[in-house]
Amino acid sequence: MRRPSDENLIAYLDGELDESETLAIAEALARDDELRARAQRLDAGARLIRVAYDDILREAVPERLIAAARGERGLTMLRRAMARLARWRRALGERPWWIGVPVAASLVGLMIGGGVGYLAGTQQIASLTAQQDLVTAGAGVNWLDNVAGYHKLFVKAGSNDRALMDVPADGNGDAARKAGLPPDFRLPNLKPWSLQFQGARLLVINGQPATQLFYTTDNQSLGPLTFVEAMSSKPDLAPTFDRRDDLNILYWRHHGHAYALVGTADIGYLWNIYNDIAWQLDAI
Amino acid sequence: MSAFINDQLVAVLPRLRRFARGLTGSAVEADDLVQAACERALARAHQFQAGTRFDSWMFRIVQTVWIDQLRARDTRRTESEDEALAAGTDEPMRRVEARLALREVQAAIATLPAEQRLALLLVTVEGLSYKEAAEVAEVPVGTIMSRLARARMALLAKLGGDALRGSAEDAKAE
Repeated sequence: MRRPSDENLIAYLDGELDESETLAIAEALARDDELRARAQRLDAGARLIRVAYDDILREAVPERLIAAARGERGLTMLRRAMARLARWRRALGERPWWIGVPVAASLVGLMIGGGVGYLAGTQQIASLTAQQDLVTAGAGVNWLDNVAGYHKLFVKAGSNDRALMDVPADGNGDAARKAGLPPDFRLPNLKPWSLQFQGARLLVINGQPATQLFYTTDNQSLGPLTFVEAMSSKPDLAPTFDRRDDLNILYWRHHGHAYALVGTADIGYLWNIYNDIAWQLDAI
Repeated sequence: MSAFINDQLVAVLPRLRRFARGLTGSAVEADDLVQAACERALARAHQFQAGTRFDSWMFRIVQTVWIDQLRARDTRRTESEDEALAAGTDEPMRRVEARLALREVQAAIATLPAEQRLALLLVTVEGLSYKEAAEVAEVPVGTIMSRLARARMALLAKLGGDALRGSAEDAKAE
């Protein structure tokens, strides 16, 4: 009898053969040591292949993917972020009843109880403040990662996937209003740089609403480019250069807004485009 | 329907990340791919047929988006993990022997032709039947069978029998 083919041997190991084929290969394996050794190596290989990717299942799923799966790119995420902030404010504003104990305790001369209560209350507030600081500090680092990640997503999508666009390039004012763009939103004109506006997405980056504008150009040394405008409660920041992988990022903050230019363009281009955008936004 | 899709998507995210990691060979590219696939799935949620496997539907979308991306851009990778692995860089993971074996397997898989890699990931990693994998890849069952066999035999040759036996035992112990 001829040896079974590799295809059939593997299909046998995968349980994909019918009863008669399975029986035939089982009989062949029983009398052919070399075939049996080959089957064992293939089976071991399959187990190894499965295990090789198991760690990924145990990794934490990035927040942006969960948001994408929930369809929470826009206002829902913003509402959630605002609700979280409101909860913190309530927690800070509405002291637990036992924080009042020190006052009452001092009135009746129970200084020990008062001291304990005061310390407990202080620690509670300090803990919440530290939690906020932690979130704020983390946001500073992750913001650029997210901005770079969204740029890559735009570039990979190419011009065919309109599902990624909230406001198409040919959108008029009605489309912009439907998409929820702020009424005073200004679209930087970068045509002098040969950059063509392709569309916009509404995002929430680190709990703050953001608008990502896409520009493309035939100039390979310049584009594609994204410009991100987001709300920010942080103080103004002079233009600062950073990198993520092969991407150059120029970011700055001005009057409650954070801005970023992202692309593979040389930093010199980004500086000049920054000057143009800053002039346009301030001038309007 | 929308809430159902959202819940199913969140639940299947770890497997989509694993599948995408196998396709792209890069953690960053894989997450970008999954994000794009999620957005496309939500935009086309009406196309999902109730009573069919949701994970298979998503695998098909992931592979479609992946192919679109390959066609839409220059496919040259700049800093993909598989190239780094193939080049034998000094990653800290190299210190751990069992982990090294697993990384070598990933690197070997990354060198397979795309269609063989797809068949291998769907059947051997994700556990789909040949028929289900054929539906995802939109090819006949026989094609999946032959691509899978070529992939498995190529890996057997790349990894070597003895090393493979030892690695399987290490992986199992881990």
